[in-house]
Amino acid sequence: MNKQILIFLFTIILLPSCMNEPESQPNTHEGNFQALWNIVDTRYCYLDYKQINWDSIYTVYHKQLSSATTQVKFFDLLGSMLSELKDGHVNLYSDFDVSRYWKWFQDYPDNFSSDLIYTTRYLGKSYRMAGGMNYGTIDNGRIGYIYYGSFADAFSDGNIAYILTSFSSCRALIIDVRDNGGGSLEYSKKLASYFFTKSTVTGYIKHKTGDGHSDFSSPVEIVTPAHSTIQWQRPVAILTNRMSFSATNDFVNRMTKAPKAIIVGDKTGGGGGLPLSSELPNGWLVRFSSSPMFNTTMVNTEFGIDPTISVALTASDQANGYDTIIERAITALK
Amino acid sequence: MKKIVLISFVIQLGSFLSAQNGYEQKYLLTTKTNTIGFSSLSLIDPYLSPLTYTGTGIQFEHESRRFLSITNTNISMQSKLDLEGGSLLNPAQTSAMYYLAVNYSWGMHYHFRPMKGLVVLAGGTWDAGLGYKDVPRNVNNPGNVDLATNLNLSGVAIYDIILRRLVLKLQLAVETPVIGWMYVPLAGASYYEMFMLGNTSDISHFSSIINKRGIHPKLTLDVPFKSSVWRIGVGYQRLQYKANNMIFDRNELSFMLGTTFDVIHFGGRSKKAPANFISTNE
Repeated sequence: MNKQILIFLFTIILLPSCMNEPESQPNTHEGNFQALWNIVDTRYCYLDYKQINWDSIYTVYHKQLSSATTQVKFFDLLGSMLSELKDGHVNLYSDFDVSRYWKWFQDYPDNFSSDLIYTTRYLGKSYRMAGGMNYGTIDNGRIGYIYYGSFADAFSDGNIAYILTSFSSCRALIIDVRDNGGGSLEYSKKLASYFFTKSTVTGYIKHKTGDGHSDFSSPVEIVTPAHSTIQWQRPVAILTNRMSFSATNDFVNRMTKAPKAIIVGDKTGGGGGLPLSSELPNGWLVRFSSSPMFNTTMVNTEFGIDPTISVALTASDQANGYDTIIERAITALK
Repeated sequence: MKKIVLISFVIQLGSFLSAQNGYEQKYLLTTKTNTIGFSSLSLIDPYLSPLTYTGTGIQFEHESRRFLSITNTNISMQSKLDLEGGSLLNPAQTSAMYYLAVNYSWGMHYHFRPMKGLVVLAGGTWDAGLGYKDVPRNVNNPGNVDLATNLNLSGVAIYDIILRRLVLKLQLAVETPVIGWMYVPLAGASYYEMFMLGNTSDISHFSSIINKRGIHPKLTLDVPFKSSVWRIGVGYQRLQYKANNMIFDRNELSFMLGTTFDVIHFGGRSKKAPANFISTNE
C-alpha cells in the first residue's frame, strides 16, 4: 500500500514537468517586431488576396529596426510596416498614438457635405432625431430622408416604426450612410431587415483555420432576415461614399439584395474583413482583419461595393446648395 | 408473594433497560467545509492575447463528504462547488482581464487505512466548469468562455496529528484530469461568426492527458477550537490544455481559510428526525 501511495505521489509531482512552458517574445524592439510580424503572418486574412509578400516586408522593415532608437520611432516603424497591408481595419494602439491607414478615403473625393444636408432644401433645422438617425421629409414631402452617421448608435424597432410611420405618405425613402465609418454588424443586419420580405442569403464569411495564408474555413452564409412586423416595401435608395466603411460596407452589401433598393453615390470604402485584436509584449494593441466577408458571388468586399448608380458631388451643385447624390437618388426613385 | 412481584419487576426493568442500551440508532454524518481563498493567479488565453496576464483572485469553496451508507464506511461520496473571480493585468499593465468561474464536481473515494491515524482516499471525480474571461480593450474578441467537463483521478491523504488532547487533521488532496470534453474557439473566428451566424465548427474537443494536463494539490490543516473547527490551507493549480493551435495555461497559488463541521441529514419519510431533535420545520 505504501508503495502504491509513493508511486501516486511521484507521478503527481512529475506531472507539471510534462507541461510546456508558454513561449513568448521578449519585450525588446526585436521581440515586439517579431511578435507583430508573426501576428500578421499567421492571423491576417488578406495577405494572399492582396498579393502581399509579407516575408519581403519583414526584410525591408527589420533592417530599419536598429535606427528606431526611441519608442516613437519604433512605433512609427511598426505603423509603416502595417500600412503595407492597405487596410483601414489595421491599427496599432500605444499610449501615445494610433497608427492608421486612411488612404482608402483620403485619396478619393469626399462626396459628402454635412452643411448641405442641413440646409432647408433637405433636412433643414427642424428635423427629428431617433436612435442615432436624423430624419425628415424632402422633395416637398414626397421622399423620406434618414441620415445615419454611425452603426455604433443603437436604435430600436420602436425608433424605426415611428420613423417609417412618419413617412407613410412618402413614395420612397433615402437612407444616407455617407461618412458612416461602421460600428455594429448586428445593427447593420437589423437595419437591413426592414427592407426584406423574406430571409435572404446576402453574403458569406470565412475565418482562418490555421497559420497558413490560405488556411480558411468553408464559407458560412450571412443571412439577412425579414423583420417580422416592420417592412418598408416601397423603393429605397442608399447613399454611399468612400467613408462608408466596415459595418456600413456590410449594410450596403446586404441592401444590394433588398427587393426595392438601389445604391447611389460613390463606391464604399470597404473594410470587409471582420477585425480581431491581439497585443505585443510591450502592451501595444494591434487590430487586424481576421475574417474575410464576401458578396453572394464570393467576391471579396474588402475593397468596397460599387453603387447601382455612380454619382459624384459636383462643386457647382455644392456651390448652389444642391447635393448631387441626393438629387440623383430623388430622380431615380421617381 | 410480594417478593415474587418485586423480583419479577426487577427482571422486567432490567430486561427493558438492557433492550434500551442494545438499541443504537446510527446516523450518517456529512462533513461540510466552507472556505474562502485568496490567490495569486496567472492566465494565458491565446484567443484573447498571447501574453501572460497576472493578478489576484478570490475563491469560495463548499465541500461536502459522507460515506455511501451506514453499513459501508469504505466508500465515500464527495461534492464540491467552487466560485472564483479574478482581476489581472498584462505584463505592461496596459490591459486588464476580468475572470469569473464556477465549477461543480462530484466523486467517490475508497478509504484505505494503512496505519493508525492515516486514511488514504483514492478515487475519481467528475467535474463541470464554466468561466468567462473579459478583456475589455479587445476588438470583436473581448471575451472568451471556458467550458469543460472532466473525469479526474483524485486522491486524499488524511493524517491525524495528536497534540495532547488536540487532534489536528492534516489533509493533502490532489486531483488531475484524465479525459473529458472542452470548448475551445478557433483563434481566427469571432463570437459573432460562431454564435450569430451559427458557425460552430471546430469548437468542440475531446480532452485527455495528451492535450490537457493539470494538477491541483491542496494541503489543509483542520484545527479544533472550543465550538468549531477551522481549516487553513494552501492550494496550487496548474492546468494546461491545447486545441486549435493554441495553448491555454493557468497557474494559481491560493491561501484558504474556512470552517468544517459535521451535519446529519433528516428528511422525508425514511429519515425522520428523532423526537429529541428539534427542527424549525415542526
